This record gives sequence, structure tokens and C-alpha cells, in this order.
Amino acid sequence: MALLEHVGTHRGVETAFGKIIPEKEAYSYCLRTIAAFSANIFQVMRILNDSWEDRTEAITEIANMMNCAACAGGEDELFQYLNAFYDDWNIPELVKRSAWIGAIWGDYGDEAEDMAGRVIQFTEHRVEKELDTCPWDIVGSEMCNMTTGMFTANFDIAAGGEHGKITNDVQLNMCEARGCGNPHCRVVAERLDHFGLERQGWLDHRGQAHAPVHDTPPERRVKHGQGLRNGQYVQAFGEENPLEWQYRWVAQMGWVWSVSFPLIAIRDMAEDDDEFERILKTVFATAGKNSFIDFFAREGLRNWLEIPREIGDDDPRVMGAYISAVLGCQLVPFEWEAFDGEGVEIRVNQETFTGRFEMAPLDEITLGYEAQWNGACHTLVSPEWSVWIDEDDDDFIITVGRKIDDRAL
Amino acid sequence: MLFREDEVARFEAKAVRENAGWYRWTHDLVEVAGPDAEGFLDWMLVNRIADTPEGRGKYTTMLDERGEIIDDLVAFNRGGGTWWLSTLYGPHAVRWFDAHKEGYDVTYEDITQAWDMYAVQGPNSAKVMEVLLDEPVDGLKRFQIAENRVDDIGVAVDRGGFTGELGYEIYCRREDSIAVAGAIAAAAVQFDAPRLTTLEVYVRSLPMEKGLALRQDYKGLTPYEANLGWSVHLDKDFLGKDALAAVHEAGEKRAFVGLEIGRASYEDIAQKEIIRKRGVPCGYVTQMIYGYTVDRNIGFGVVDAEKCPVGTRVTIGPNDSPAIVVEPKWC
Repeated sequence: MALLEHVGTHRGVETAFGKIIPEKEAYSYCLRTIAAFSANIFQVMRILNDSWEDRTEAITEIANMMNCAACAGGEDELFQYLNAFYDDWNIPELVKRSAWIGAIWGDYGDEAEDMAGRVIQFTEHRVEKELDTCPWDIVGSEMCNMTTGMFTANFDIAAGGEHGKITNDVQLNMCEARGCGNPHCRVVAERLDHFGLERQGWLDHRGQAHAPVHDTPPERRVKHGQGLRNGQYVQAFGEENPLEWQYRWVAQMGWVWSVSFPLIAIRDMAEDDDEFERILKTVFATAGKNSFIDFFAREGLRNWLEIPREIGDDDPRVMGAYISAVLGCQLVPFEWEAFDGEGVEIRVNQETFTGRFEMAPLDEITLGYEAQWNGACHTLVSPEWSVWIDEDDDDFIITVGRKIDDRAL
Repeated sequence: MLFREDEVARFEAKAVRENAGWYRWTHDLVEVAGPDAEGFLDWMLVNRIADTPEGRGKYTTMLDERGEIIDDLVAFNRGGGTWWLSTLYGPHAVRWFDAHKEGYDVTYEDITQAWDMYAVQGPNSAKVMEVLLDEPVDGLKRFQIAENRVDDIGVAVDRGGFTGELGYEIYCRREDSIAVAGAIAAAAVQFDAPRLTTLEVYVRSLPMEKGLALRQDYKGLTPYEANLGWSVHLDKDFLGKDALAAVHEAGEKRAFVGLEIGRASYEDIAQKEIIRKRGVPCGYVTQMIYGYTVDRNIGFGVVDAEKCPVGTRVTIGPNDSPAIVVEPKWC
């Protein structure tokens, strides 16, 4: 057998020091960073509103409405939207697709988000989905209720229901949640007529299933979704999406449902924008500082990014390398403007940085990451160094530089 | 996903194997017509379509230019130069035809939204049909389709199905669907034939036991790899023929096989789960299900033909479920 001409070509994110983070690892990291951002946003919400019921109701209602709005328009537009979806995913007529589109819709999203598990039951009256993993398990139970309530919109849309109202014929419950300590997340959809159930309100999506659940034994649970296991997700009727597609989908849509939708309600919980932004910056700065409070966290990062030993601890390139890894794994293109012992400057396009999903730009990404990275820089590098983000025409310049701030948070 | 202890699913499967059962089984329908319809279908499909008599149908695959399966379907000659293609991929077929119709005087349309379809399956299905329909159907041959009536509603009935049992499929207009379903229910109850509600029973479990696969199982294989060489007519022209013939001549590298896992359940085995022989990847699962007639977890897979003959012990998925390669038919 002749020698190879060259080593194999594998996709990945190149770090500041030339190490390649493999695609699957970068995808996992991307997921978790978005989940962490979401967790911070939910902390902001809890400061602004101390009632679990009030805040959960608010974010669930808005998420449901926004999900419905995805196909807002006339009856014809809705018909075309649904047909395109059926076609894309090859959902055949025989599954009574108008009734269960939500179940099929949800499954590919779960798998893309590496919420790995299985549709255990798929009958005319009931769909049960069990998840063994959930990268969003750090966010909190409001999220569990919100996402489940959000998905009633998918049932509403297919049933032609009135936007923003629960008009479908299904109860949808996340009756177990990993983030609440259960072994699984479990979402069950059950037909009202078959099980004799009442329609749900916004806070009712964490009830119990009305038929017995199937509990997958520990030895048969999975640690990752199909994409990470097998390189692609395969939908029930055989349509496939490669890992590459899933990664891109998450880098866009992960922000939408976990940050963008709830933020609409969370901003309204503040008295004004100043209050919201003050609390947001405080939460993110604290999260950043705590990221590298432990020496082993700093060592772990150095190891992960293969930061050379000749670059010491008190060097801005350590922070710059970290930021660039976050950007790279989140599929945000950037350019190095400076990368030496005097400081780091990274150029990113403003629209790209804030508009991960173009239709829903988030200024909060800039506010949040500026505060978080600045806080992280103080523990990862030293308090002598700060991170700030300046505008430069259509771009942002993310700077790691020396700054004295007498009122530093 | 089905499990041994699911008594509803077991009841439904048993009904079809031992008596009869019925369910909505609406496929996509593409109607093809025009002076060149036969010639066009003969070009698009590997089986010999042109000699299909009126009122009869043929199972066939459709290939891409590489000779790999992109669909499998039944083509019915509805008479008067009109054909019905029963597929699960109507919109895909229409797009594929759009790309290859040049030179043919042919029209085609996805008429799925106009027609519903119900299946009545099982050894006693003919008895249900006899009560249900105006005209007897016991003389229908496999894939023969004929006009009939349910009360005063016109329907088309073919002898066919996807369970491996005697069975019939009833095509009715969408506006008549509820009435037809009611009539089927009324006829079926006389024979204790239930309506099946567990999709996985009639889409996967019953068919797989009999070796019946979905297009998603075959996609990307050649008909020879999929054990469908009997339907290929290399003595006529069809799209993908040259590539298929070349691959066939070189010998099939992949094999479409059956799989049986030794563990009690298969929750960690999704479609395209990796099959390993002594830890080395050698293929993938296409689907897995519980078979209530054979009482075991069974599946289809695509494996390296040389390395994984029938009888090979393999492992599947992230938790290394032990399995054995078998013939892809269980009963």
C-alpha cells in the first residue's frame, strides 16, 4: 500500500495557536456557550421578577406567540409554509401529519441541540419523547415550561388555530426535566379527546403524563445526539441532516428560542432600559469572573487551547485566545487586528455578531459578552487587563487591553 | 419505537396476522398522463412498465444517475394512458420528473390532496371487503386495481399492502374520506377487526417481519444491493442503467441484511447507528423495531458484503449492543 500524499483533512476551529478544535467538540462547545448565555439571561429575569409563576407565564406566552409568528400571514401562506415543511422532512400523509407535526418538528430541534434521546411512542393519540441529555439543564425550570408551551404553537399552526391562543387538541407536558434533577427530560403529547383532558394554560406544561411512561434503563441511555454519534440526524421517515447542518442550525436558532424569545418578556419586567442593562451587565460580569476563579480552570483552558508556556499568565493573549475560541466555535467570522503582549484586538462584523439569526438581532449579545469577558479577564489574566467592545463603522473591535477603572464592577 | 410489553401494539399486530385490521394509509399519489407517459415511466423506472396491463400495477425502484435508489413505488396503469404512482415522496418525484422530462410529451401532477387511502389487512380482510363493497374483490390479483363502491361512494380498490398478509387498499376522494372510514369501521367490527392506531406497528413492525422495507432503508443502495435485482430490466433503457450495470459487474460491495439484537430493548439504536465488527465500523442500521409475531428486536442494516455475511456477530450503537447478521426476513 503506497504512502498517503498527505494527512486527512478534518474540519475544525483553529485556535490562536494553531490547534484544531474538532468539529464535533466545537459544536458541543457552541451549544453550551449559548446555554450559558441563556442561563445568565434567566438570572436577570429572576432579579427583575421574584415570582416563578409570573415570569414563567410571561416568557411562555411570548415564546408561543413568536413561534406562531414564524408563519404569520394569510391562510395560503400558512398552507405553503406547512407544505414546505412536510416536503423538506418528508412527513407523509399517513402519519396524520397535521396532528403530529409538532412531535416531528420538535425531534429534529432536540437532536440538533444535542438533547439526545428518543421518540418512545408515536401513536394516533399520544407521542412520548425522552431525553437523556440536555445542555440547557443549567437554565432552569422556567425554560422547561417555556419550551414546552412554545411547542404548542407547532400543534396550533398545523391545526390552523388562532395565533397566540392554545387551540390545539393536545396536552403537552414536560413531566420530567434533567435540570430539575430527573434522570430524563420527558415530553408527552396526549390528545384531549382520547384522554379526557382539559386545554392547558401557560403554566400547565409541567404536569404529568396521563398514560404510563417508558423509562429507558441506564445502560441504554445515550450521551449525545445522533449527529455527534453517527455524523447525521435521521428523521423518522428517513430524511437526513448532516452534522454540519445541525451545527449551523444551532449557531443560529439556539439563540432565538433560548435567548431572543424570553428576552422580549424579560425586558418588559424592568422599569426601563437602564435598569435592565444595569442588571444584565452585573449578572454577566459576575458569571465571567467566576468562570476562572479556580486555578484548574485557568490551567484547563491553557491545556485546551494549547497556549504555549512562554506566554505567561499575565498576558492578554490568553484572554484573546479564549474569546477567539468562543467566536470560532459559535461560527462567528473574525479578523485579528492585534495579538501580542501589548494587547489583543479582534474585528467582527456588527450584524453578524448580534444577528446570529439575521431576522432577530440581539444587542444583548454585545452587552452581555462585553461584561462577561471583562469579568473573566480579571480572573483568567489579571485585573490589570480588561475587555471592551468599540464600534468601528460596521464592525466591532473587541479589545483586551490595560485599563484602570475606578468604578469597576 | 416499540417494546415487548406494549400490549396495545401487540394486540394490533396480532389482529393483522391472525384476523384483520384497518388504518388510514394515505400515500402520495402522482398522476402521470400524456402520449409519452408509458415511455417516460419506462425511462424513469427500472421495472418494465410499458407492458403493465390496464388495471394492474408493478413495484419498481427509481434511480439517480449513479444507479442508486432514490425512491421505490408502485406504478398502476389506470387506463386511458393515465398512471398512478403510489409513493411516499410525491413532491420529490415531481421535481425529479421536472429535471428529466425533456423530449417527452407527458404531464404529471401530485394529486395527494385529492385522494385518501385506507388499508384493510389480514387473512380475513377479504371478508371485511365483501361486506364493505358493492363488488367482490376476492378475484383481484396482487397489485390489481379496480373501481368499486362503498355504499354510493365511488372508490378504487387494489389488492396490496405493506404487511405481508392478504390485504386491500381503498382509494377514495378526500371529501368522502370520513364516510368511507365509517363504512370500513362498521364492516370491520363485524369481524372484530380493530382500527390500528400505533403507527410503528403498521409502518415498521409488521412489514419488517416479512422483509418489507421502506425507501429510507434502500436509499443510496443499488437495486442489486437491496435484493431487488429481480425488478431490474437491463434489456431496456432507464435512467441510471449504465452506472448500475457497471457497479453490478464489479460486484456489490454492500449488502442489505437483517439484524437481531440480543438485548431486551433498543432505545439507544437510532437510524444510521453504526454497526461494528470487533470494534471496527462495517455498516449502519437503517431501522430497528420490535416484531410481535417473532417476539424479538429486529432491524435492517447495510453492511460490508464481504466482511459481514449472514451469521456475523456485530455490535450496534453507543452502548455496543450485541447483534447478529441474519437474512432480512423473519416470517
